[in-house]
Amino acid sequence: MVDNKISSAPIKYDNTFAKEIYSLENGHYVKMCMQCGMCAVSCATRQIMDYSPRRLFNLIRAGKKEEFMRSNTMWMCTTCCMCKVRCPRGIPLVDVMHDLKALALKQGYVEYPQAAFYQAMWAEAFGRGRVFEGGIMARFYLKRGWNEIKKALGMKDLGMEMLKHGRMPIVPPRKIKGLKSLQQIIQRAQSLQEKEAK
Amino acid sequence: MRYSVYPGCSLEATALSYMKSLEPVAEALGMHLEEIPDWNCCGASVASGVVGDFAQQVMTARNLALAEEKGLDILVACSSCYMNMGLTNKRFKDDAHFAKLANEALAVGGLKYNGTLRVRQIVDALVNDIGLDKIKARVKRPLTGLKVAGYVGCQTVRALPWEYDDPERPVLLDQLVEALGATAVPFPMKARCCGSSHAIAQTEIVLDCSREILESARSNGASMMVTPCPMCQLNIDAYQGMINKTYNTNYAIPTLFITQLMAIAFDLPPEASALKYCIVSPYEALAPLGVGK
Ligand code: SF4
Ligand code: SF4
Repeated sequence: MVDNKISSAPIKYDNTFAKEIYSLENGHYVKMCMQCGMCAVSCATRQIMDYSPRRLFNLIRAGKKEEFMRSNTMWMCTTCCMCKVRCPRGIPLVDVMHDLKALALKQGYVEYPQAAFYQAMWAEAFGRGRVFEGGIMARFYLKRGWNEIKKALGMKDLGMEMLKHGRMPIVPPRKIKGLKSLQQIIQRAQSLQEKEAK
Repeated sequence: MRYSVYPGCSLEATALSYMKSLEPVAEALGMHLEEIPDWNCCGASVASGVVGDFAQQVMTARNLALAEEKGLDILVACSSCYMNMGLTNKRFKDDAHFAKLANEALAVGGLKYNGTLRVRQIVDALVNDIGLDKIKARVKRPLTGLKVAGYVGCQTVRALPWEYDDPERPVLLDQLVEALGATAVPFPMKARCCGSSHAIAQTEIVLDCSREILESARSNGASMMVTPCPMCQLNIDAYQGMINKTYNTNYAIPTLFITQLMAIAFDLPPEASALKYCIVSPYEALAPLGVGK
């Protein structure tokens, strides 16, 4: 027998977390989600996500911050833009995912290797004005430690092939001339954005 | 025809063969490329996830501002660069509040962008500016009999949907391939994601995504793939050996940039087709056309 006894008491959701998300740069778009699931069936990496984008957005409404922040969904996103193209509500999911990653980093949810990769790549781009693969990898392995280095050793054939075919420069590119000015521009942009968010 | 060109970081490193083939192919078609002076990294698909969209777009806009004086369309090869440059440029045109704020940040470096330029993907410029007829007319070594899977990837057609092609079933790359005399095989996975930058952080994802793409190419009879995306090229080409090891498969599908294939069809000198940078050897597939090392 199916148990049909459903409580008539209203379910109370805590919306503090939802408000936090809605205040992000692209966070307000989440409110437009109608839970149709188009993003889930379109996603390149749905099969390895804890929650599909649709379900992730639902967690926001349900106020489940811990589940949300610890989920791998935003980190698995490859920014392939399929969901963004298809979402019937026009939600730019990729841009929302960016915000969610940035929030996770800010609040110290950094257990996924992608988090270290993002930080490594950003450090390169900001510190040089251009990105150097060797630099990203060095920073990434430094952050992730021995286990990751062991994995990298398993990939040494690939590294050798890259070197042999002249595709892995060992000397980093020169820093751009306007590096200082670029860094000041970025810092100004960040502070302007913070003011906007308030 | 003159263009500003934004090479992006990968064209200086892992995708060197893209730049090496793009320059002579463009020249052969009368496209004059002028590199944006002192350009900076656009932040790829990563910076937004650390500092947010606005800061990344401002960072990208420095390049637009540096290029604006010349007033030329900006040619972009890399898919992520195209996404960032294209989206930022669009925002400058559509969103006055954004433009004002972004210019406030750019002013710290004495720069300003008025939103007057167009950002163009290479495939867009080749087909819509130069035209398939002119490209066909330039072919000196028709690629007759070569079966090619045109692998478009994701961001070049989806970053700005319908800007120049269908975001899910793109056709221009196939048309380019056929203009060179080759056969574009049906390729249902042509716009699926290769796993992109997960290659470093979580290689399994790339192996899994790229394997499906290779399988689709092979089962449709392709002896080669071409792409306009540095990330797709890198993942499919460099990781193919690992895919074979992991899944006990035996793919041997060389993956070229579309400009490399054009260099071959135009019969340009070997430096222009830059085949020595291929990890999966292309020589067997190209042997019937008389292309050797
Ligand atoms: S496709 Fe859009 S509206 Fe539908 S569930 Fe996903 S985010 Fe929500
Ligand atoms: S952009 Fe991200 S979330 Fe959207 S379909 Fe692609 S991988 Fe999935």
